Amino acid sequence: MEKLIESFASLFLESRTAQIRDVEFVNSEVSQILGQIENGDQQAASQLLPLVYQELRRLASQKMVNEKSSHTLQPTALVHEAFLRLIGSGGSQKWDSRGHFFAAAAEAMRRILIESARRRNTEKRGGDWNRGELAPDDAAVDCDDPASLLALDDALIKLSLTDAALAKLVELRYFTGMTVEQTAEILDVSPRTIKRQWAYARAWLRREMGEPDER
Amino acid sequence: MNPPSEQDIFLTVCEIEGTAERAEYLRRACGSDAILRADIESLLRAADAPDNPLDRPPLAIPAQDDGFDDLIGTTVGPYRLMEQIGEGGFGLVFVAQQEHPVRRHVALKIIKPGSGSKEVIARFEAERQALAMMDHPNIARVFDAGVTSDGRPYFVMELVRGVPITEFADARRKTIRNRLLLFTDVCAAVHHAHQKGIIHRDIKPSNVMVTLHDDKPVVKVIDFGVAKAIGQLLTDKTIYTRFFSMIGTPLYMSPEQAEMSGLDVDTRSDIYSLGVLLYELLAGATPFDRERLDSAGLDEMRRIIREEEPPRLSKRLSTLGATMTTVSDARRLEPNRMTSVLRGDLDWIAMKALEKDRNRRYDSAAAMANDIARYLNQEPIEARPPTTIYQLAKFSRRHQVVLGTSGLVLMSLLVGLAASLWQMQRAVTERDQKVAALREIELFADKVTRANALMASAQTHLESGQWESARYDLDAAVAQQPSYYLPWISRAQFFLRSQRWGAAATDFARAMGLGAPTDTPQWWGVTALLLQHGDPSIFESFMAQYEEKLLRDSSASNGVRVDWEWLRNGLADGDSMATASYALIANIAEHKLVDEAGTETPFGPPLIRAPGNRYTEHRPPPPPPRGGFEREGESLEIPRHDRLRRREVIQNIPRPLRLYITGLAHLRAGQHERAIERLLESVTSDWPGQDLVHAPLAMSYFRTGQSQQAASSLARSIDATKRLLSTGTDTNRRGPAPPWFDGIEMQVLDREARTLIGK
Repeated sequence: MEKLIESFASLFLESRTAQIRDVEFVNSEVSQILGQIENGDQQAASQLLPLVYQELRRLASQKMVNEKSSHTLQPTALVHEAFLRLIGSGGSQKWDSRGHFFAAAAEAMRRILIESARRRNTEKRGGDWNRGELAPDDAAVDCDDPASLLALDDALIKLSLTDAALAKLVELRYFTGMTVEQTAEILDVSPRTIKRQWAYARAWLRREMGEPDER
Repeated sequence: MNPPSEQDIFLTVCEIEGTAERAEYLRRACGSDAILRADIESLLRAADAPDNPLDRPPLAIPAQDDGFDDLIGTTVGPYRLMEQIGEGGFGLVFVAQQEHPVRRHVALKIIKPGSGSKEVIARFEAERQALAMMDHPNIARVFDAGVTSDGRPYFVMELVRGVPITEFADARRKTIRNRLLLFTDVCAAVHHAHQKGIIHRDIKPSNVMVTLHDDKPVVKVIDFGVAKAIGQLLTDKTIYTRFFSMIGTPLYMSPEQAEMSGLDVDTRSDIYSLGVLLYELLAGATPFDRERLDSAGLDEMRRIIREEEPPRLSKRLSTLGATMTTVSDARRLEPNRMTSVLRGDLDWIAMKALEKDRNRRYDSAAAMANDIARYLNQEPIEARPPTTIYQLAKFSRRHQVVLGTSGLVLMSLLVGLAASLWQMQRAVTERDQKVAALREIELFADKVTRANALMASAQTHLESGQWESARYDLDAAVAQQPSYYLPWISRAQFFLRSQRWGAAATDFARAMGLGAPTDTPQWWGVTALLLQHGDPSIFESFMAQYEEKLLRDSSASNGVRVDWEWLRNGLADGDSMATASYALIANIAEHKLVDEAGTETPFGPPLIRAPGNRYTEHRPPPPPPRGGFEREGESLEIPRHDRLRRREVIQNIPRPLRLYITGLAHLRAGQHERAIERLLESVTSDWPGQDLVHAPLAMSYFRTGQSQQAASSLARSIDATKRLLSTGTDTNRRGPAPPWFDGIEMQVLDREARTLIGK
């Protein structure tokens, strides 16, 4: 994980230094909240989400203006960049606080993606679809994707009703792009447990999203 | 106790192999609960369903607005967009109205987001001065560049309403002569730009437009400077791929551009593109088939452009098939006439522009235009070696009117020849300097086949153990083609096999001097060779090239693309590059260790796929040919089509060797602790090259002040090197010997360690 963070750190160092001033304020606020969570303040966790959400949104729209890569942004890369910006790479933050951060980030990213998928879904059906050939990169994104993401979201909601912890695990792992090991570290269970739970949740959600064809 | 949950049963079933056993377990676990059983069965099906969204990373966030929707009527900087006139890989082209400082219509090209807009604009700014100095009737001017409010770079250019030159010529059924005249205007425009130091970089029909001014066709070359602003410095592979997708097709791209080796693109790249354009204007098709290039993968496409000789114009016609009639009709020629018109001079002119080696192309667009003018005036062209018969043939054609009927041709020719003898004489004197250069081209063209045949013959001789004959063939090949690096490399490799290190080093040095690329497998280990047996200045210039390439297109993130052995080649000594460069190598190596884990071959020599699809051992060089005739299965020179395979083979080197290279890199970078760690890790009893480790380990220990260990490692190194030197000549050695460069490298490192530690 250290290595991962490090590589993200160098990747985004440039943008960080450029933006360092506007971040400082949020940065200290996030650290403060994480501190409060550490000290057992249950209320504090709820304050984290809007901050992270806001930051992810801001990053995303800023990148759309001057991102070098393409029309689309990778959610997991965004989450990690947000982590660096809000908490920093060199900090002495323990896994406890990182875990809280990534949980909030996963939830925020899920919201952002669902909003985006909804919008795209209506656009597609609503006939205000006139971008046509000018967005070839759009074609790279599977056209069914907004729909299947929405289906996944519905299924996740159902899962959270029967097994909230399992739904949290999926959210955390899927929307932040963490590996089994990282997820295990954050949730403080063994990688084997994560693997098993993931396998079950994966099948459960897939079943919920529609039975595969019987052949 | 509760009955097992759905989750428990599911996970247990997943771990059971075999359908019968699974069914049996399910039957027992679910008992009479049919619903539970159905649930679990559907879970199991879902687990195997192919399209699980959870296996994909979450949907990427789309850019919310492409911004192109309703651009008409909006303003971009001081320009109001009027209508869209074009759309390409790069973006959209609009007609725009400019209000200040002059009121005029301009073409405004908005670039798709793709490369960093800041860099695009910065590069444009850097060239703006030069672009402003271009003033030529056949060049569309570039006025301005900027960034739209949503961050897209745009360019403002003179508005040219025309059609691509090839379309124009076909639509108007222009004759070959008229096409050539149009083309010389293109050359004039490009030459003008070149004189101002501007390279186009993207010459293709859609950038060479023809408009009509009072019914007179006028050529306009558009987009000067734009390609540079957008496309330069794209060495990273992902950007590179995207760059290709942006330009659509690389049909007009010169080999050095396709290679993206960072070799400076210069005016001669434009000459190549002009060659393709000329080719298409004349033959109605590009040298390489469009469909073939488009369907080839990136690497294959680059290989084609870099290595395949395009067919001559006249030959290409025969591959056109049914379209031949259309093509010749558009040139107002009978199909069979067409081949004879293009054969000869026009073949040579196009081929000279299309030379892979840019040194052999026309040295300017003007020179190319002049040659075309010579052709049109029936004078001897430059692109072809001036044989006597050729010159006479030209002469007679030039004086055809005077010569009269064909029956008199021969006699009159002689008369005319005598009369013009002094003229000829003068012409010959004038061309004296050129002859030397032409002779070389001629030699090259004529003898390339023979030299290649000799190299093949050498290989055969070598395989049957006839070392003397092989040597004779190689000497002859070098004599045939002394100005081409390949024979030198072949002979160098022969010398390596016979362990004549000094001679090998000399031949490698010659090949380097002839501009051979030094990053191919043939050069692996050559640094150590040069250091031990060659001229130090040659070693230095090799390392200068190496460092340049390293800094140019290597980074930790694309380390997968560079070979281990290539990395190793840069580590023969520790002070011919900047410490940062060595650190970069170490960094790349560390990344490769992680990225390529699992691709290592087991110990022993790597396998190489033999022609018959069998796997044979990639054997180390045999002992010197001291009279012994040993049969040898390995080929001397890997044939062209086999190079990639060889590359692949050597990539899959055993892990200890990877660790050793990584350790050596750390040593060179001054990271001695890391070096020790990696080197120790590489020590494995069954790695045949393990003796390599001692010297670098000794140096690393010494640098970290562990003199005890340094001394013992050094002793081991000295011992191993002695053993190597004594067994090096042992013809009856059993088992796989290390590759030749292992031995040389060991000696080099041993010497270095002894000097450092002072024994």
